[in-house]
Amino acid sequence: MGQAVVDVNDLSRSFGRKIALDGVCFRATAGQVYGLVGANGAGKTTLIKHLLGLLRAATGSVRVFGFDPVREPVRVLGRVGYLSEERELPEWMRIDELMAYTQAFHPTWDASYAGELIETFGLDPSKKVRELSKGMRAQAGLVAAVAHRPELLILDEPSAGLDAVVRRDILDAIVRTVVDDGRTVIFSSHLLEEVERMSDHVTMLHGGRVTLSGALDDVRHSYQRSRVRFAEHFEQPPVLDTALAMEGGGRAWSVVHSGSLERFHHSVLALGGEIVESRDATLEEIFLARAGRSRQPVEAA
Amino acid sequence: MTLRSPTSAMLWELWRVTRAEIAWKLALPIGLALTALGLAAAFGPADNPARYRSINDFAAAVALSLIVIAPLPGVWISMARLTGGQPGFPLYLGYTRPVRTAWLVGLPMAYLTAMSGAIYLASALVLRVASGHAFPLLPVAAWVAALTVVWLAAAWSTRNMTIQVAVAMLAVVKALGWAVDRLTAVEIPDGFDWPPRLWPALFDWPRTDYAWIALIGLASFGATVAMVTRQRRGDALVSSTWTPGGGLWGRLVGLFGVPCPTSSATRAQLWFDLKSRGVPVLTIGVVLASVTVLVSAVSGPIDAAWNADPTVSCPIKECFWVRAMPPMLTPFMLVTILFLGVNAFGIRRKQGRTYVSAFEAANAYGTAQVAVLKILAQSVCVLAAFIAIGVGVWISMPLLGDGVFIQMFGVPLNSRRSVLTTAFAALAGYEQLALTMVAVGGVVMAVAAFAMLGALRLRYSRLASLASFLLVPYGLLFVWLWVGVRGDPAAFSRLHLDIVYGAMSWSATTVMAITTVYVVWNGFAERVLTLRYASGAVAISLAFAAAWLTVVHMLGVPLTGVSATNAISVASLALLPLTVSVLAPWSYSRIRHT
Repeated sequence: MGQAVVDVNDLSRSFGRKIALDGVCFRATAGQVYGLVGANGAGKTTLIKHLLGLLRAATGSVRVFGFDPVREPVRVLGRVGYLSEERELPEWMRIDELMAYTQAFHPTWDASYAGELIETFGLDPSKKVRELSKGMRAQAGLVAAVAHRPELLILDEPSAGLDAVVRRDILDAIVRTVVDDGRTVIFSSHLLEEVERMSDHVTMLHGGRVTLSGALDDVRHSYQRSRVRFAEHFEQPPVLDTALAMEGGGRAWSVVHSGSLERFHHSVLALGGEIVESRDATLEEIFLARAGRSRQPVEAA
Repeated sequence: MTLRSPTSAMLWELWRVTRAEIAWKLALPIGLALTALGLAAAFGPADNPARYRSINDFAAAVALSLIVIAPLPGVWISMARLTGGQPGFPLYLGYTRPVRTAWLVGLPMAYLTAMSGAIYLASALVLRVASGHAFPLLPVAAWVAALTVVWLAAAWSTRNMTIQVAVAMLAVVKALGWAVDRLTAVEIPDGFDWPPRLWPALFDWPRTDYAWIALIGLASFGATVAMVTRQRRGDALVSSTWTPGGGLWGRLVGLFGVPCPTSSATRAQLWFDLKSRGVPVLTIGVVLASVTVLVSAVSGPIDAAWNADPTVSCPIKECFWVRAMPPMLTPFMLVTILFLGVNAFGIRRKQGRTYVSAFEAANAYGTAQVAVLKILAQSVCVLAAFIAIGVGVWISMPLLGDGVFIQMFGVPLNSRRSVLTTAFAALAGYEQLALTMVAVGGVVMAVAAFAMLGALRLRYSRLASLASFLLVPYGLLFVWLWVGVRGDPAAFSRLHLDIVYGAMSWSATTVMAITTVYVVWNGFAERVLTLRYASGAVAISLAFAAAWLTVVHMLGVPLTGVSATNAISVASLALLPLTVSVLAPWSYSRIRHT
C-alpha cells in the first residue's frame, strides 16, 4: 500500500448530544478515488470538514499529507482543492475575480486549464457569482477547486446542481484526469450509481460510524444478492445465516447476504428452500442492507 | 409543545427570534440609565444644591434619552439578521404557508411595534420607581411605536436599501422634529429645557397626536402589505433589485474597481477584505462627511427663512431647525461607522444560522496572519471614515456659527476649533505622536475587540450568554451605589464609588491577565501563535503602553505615588493591546477550526 495522503484514526466528534462521528478510521492513498456514501446526517460532510481543518478532532487524529490540518492549514490547504456542498462562494465576486483570488493562494495554478474548463462549462467570466444559477455556481466552484491541480481533490456532493451531461462527462473526466496524474480524489455522494462508476474505494458511514470500507470490487464481491424460493409460505422474513436484508413475501424472497456462501446455502436448504439466482450485490443494495432500510416486497409470491 | 393555530405558531416563532433582543433591550438601557443617575448623584457637588439639582436633572434627561434611543438602533436586529441585513420582508419562508399576506405582515408588525412600546414602558416604570422622577409613559411609548412601525414598513416594503435608508432617515428627522416641537413649547429661562419636574406638563400631548400616530400606523401597515404582496408573488420589478450580497452594499463593493492581485496570497486577501468590507464602510463615512458639510452650508439660510416665516411656529426667539442636525447626528454617524465596521472576521447570519464562510476558512493562509490582516484592513477603513467625518465636522463648524443651541454648555462650538488647534500645536512632538498612536490604537482595538467578541460568541454561544451575566454584579454595584447616594450623598458617595471602581479595576485586570496567559499558552500549543508573531505583538504593545503613559501624564494624572487601584487601572489599559493581539488570532482560529 502506498503512502497515506489522508490518515484518520479513531476520530470522534459530537455536536451537543448528537454524535456526528464515532471512532472513524479512514485512509486514502495517492492515485485513487474514494467515495463516501451514507444517509443524510451519517457524518460524510463532518469527516470532510475534519480533513480540511474546518473542524478540530475531539478525539483521535487527522493527518493529511502527514500534517494536522488544524495546526498546519497552509501546508495542507495549499495542496488541496475543495468544492463545498453548499457551493459557498463570495456573492459579490465576478468569476474572473474568483479565479484570480484563488490563483493567489496556489502557485501551481494552471490558467490555461482554468480557461479551458470555463469555456467548456460556458461560464461568462464577467458575471458575478450572485447572478449564477445553482448549477453554474457548482461549475465555477469546481473550476476553482481543480485548476491548481491539487494533490488531493475533495468534493462534497459534487453532482448536486449539475445536469446529467456535466455530471456524466465532465465531472468524470476531471476526476479521471486527477487520478491519472497520480493524485487523489475523495468525494461524497448520495448517488450510489455515481460512486460505483467513479470510485476505486468506497467507505460507508452510518450514524457516525464506518459500516463498510474497502476497494469497490472487494466490497461488491463480498456481498451477494440471491433470489430464494421456499416450499413453505412465510409471513415474516425467514431467519437465514449471513443475511443482511430481505425483501419479498410468501415463498419468494430476495436476500442480500455476505460472508460464507456455504452457510447461507445450508440455512436456505434447512428451511426447505432453494437459491434460484445469485449475483454480486450493487452498491445501492449493499447500502440499503447496511442502512437497514430494505423491507419492501419486490414481487408477488 | 403543541401550537394549536397558525397565529400561535407565528407568535411562538417571533418570540423565539426576538427574545434575546428583548432581554438586552430591557437590560442595557435600564443599566445605562441607572449608571447615569448614579454617577450624577455621586459626582454632583453636594455643597451647591442648585448645581447639584441641575446636574441630576440633566442625568434624568440623559436616562430618558437612553431608554428611548438605546433600544431603537436597527429597530429589530434579530429580524434583520434573518435576511443577512438585506432589506425586504424577513419572514419570507412564510410565503409558502397558507396564511394571508395581511396576516403574515400584520401579526409580526403588531408584535414588534407593541413590543417596542412595552420595552419603553417597562424601562420607564423601573426608572420611575428607582428615581422618583415622573418618567413619561404613554406619550413616549406611542412615539416609539410610531417610529418603529414606520421603520418596519421601510425595511420590509422594499428590497432597495437606498429607499429603505432614505425613508428611515426621513422618519427619524420628522419624529425628532415633532418631539422637539412639543418639548420646546415652553422656554425655561436660565435652565435646562426639559427638567423632570416639567415632564408631566411637557409630555401631555394633545389627542390629535395619538390620532396621527394611529393613522401613520395604518398607512404603514397598508403600504407594507401591498409591497410584501408583490414580493410574495415574485414581482420582477421588486425582486430584481435584491439578491444575496446585492443592494446598496453590493454597489459599494463594486466601487472598488482594483483587480485582484495574483502575485501573493497576502495581497489577494487584503484585496478581498478591503473590497468586501472595508471600502464600503469608508465610502459611507465619506458620504456622511459630505452630507454634514452640505447640510451645514445650507442650514443658516434655511433656518433664517423659517424663523422669518410667520406660519412656522417657533416658541423661542430663534429656532435651530437645520443647524441642530449636524452636531446632533455626528455621534450617530460615528456609531454607525463603528457598527458597520465591527464584523472584521466576516461572520455571516441568515435565518438564525451564524457561520463563517467555508470558502474563506478553506484558503491556504495562516490563521494568525489572516486574522490580523482582516482586522488591520477593517481598522484602516474605519479610521479613514472617522477622519472623513471629523474633517467634515471641522469644515462645518464655521458654517454653523455660534448659535444658542450650540452654546448649550456655554461653549460656542466654532470657538472649539481654535482651542483644539492651539492645544495640539502646544504639544511637544513626542506628545503629538503619543496622542496619535493612542487614537489609532484605540480604533484598531475597538475593531479587533468587536471582531473577537463576535467570534467567541459564535463559537461559545452558551458560555458567552453566561459571561454576559457577569455584568449583573456590576449593575447591582451601581444600583447599590445610587441607593446609598440618595440616602447620604456626602458620606456615602466617595467610599462606595471607590469600592465600585476598585472592584471593576481589579476584576477586569485579573480577567485580562489570566486570559492573556491562557491564550498565549494555548495559542503556542496549537501553533496559532508563533514566536515571531508574539514578539511583534509584545513590541507593539510596549510602544502603545509608552504612548498611553505619555497621554496619561499629559492629562495631568500623576504616575507615581498613586493608589494600587489607580495604578492597576492605568496598567490594564497598557496591557490591552497585548491581550487583543493574542486573543484576535486565537478567537479567529476558534471559528475557522470549530
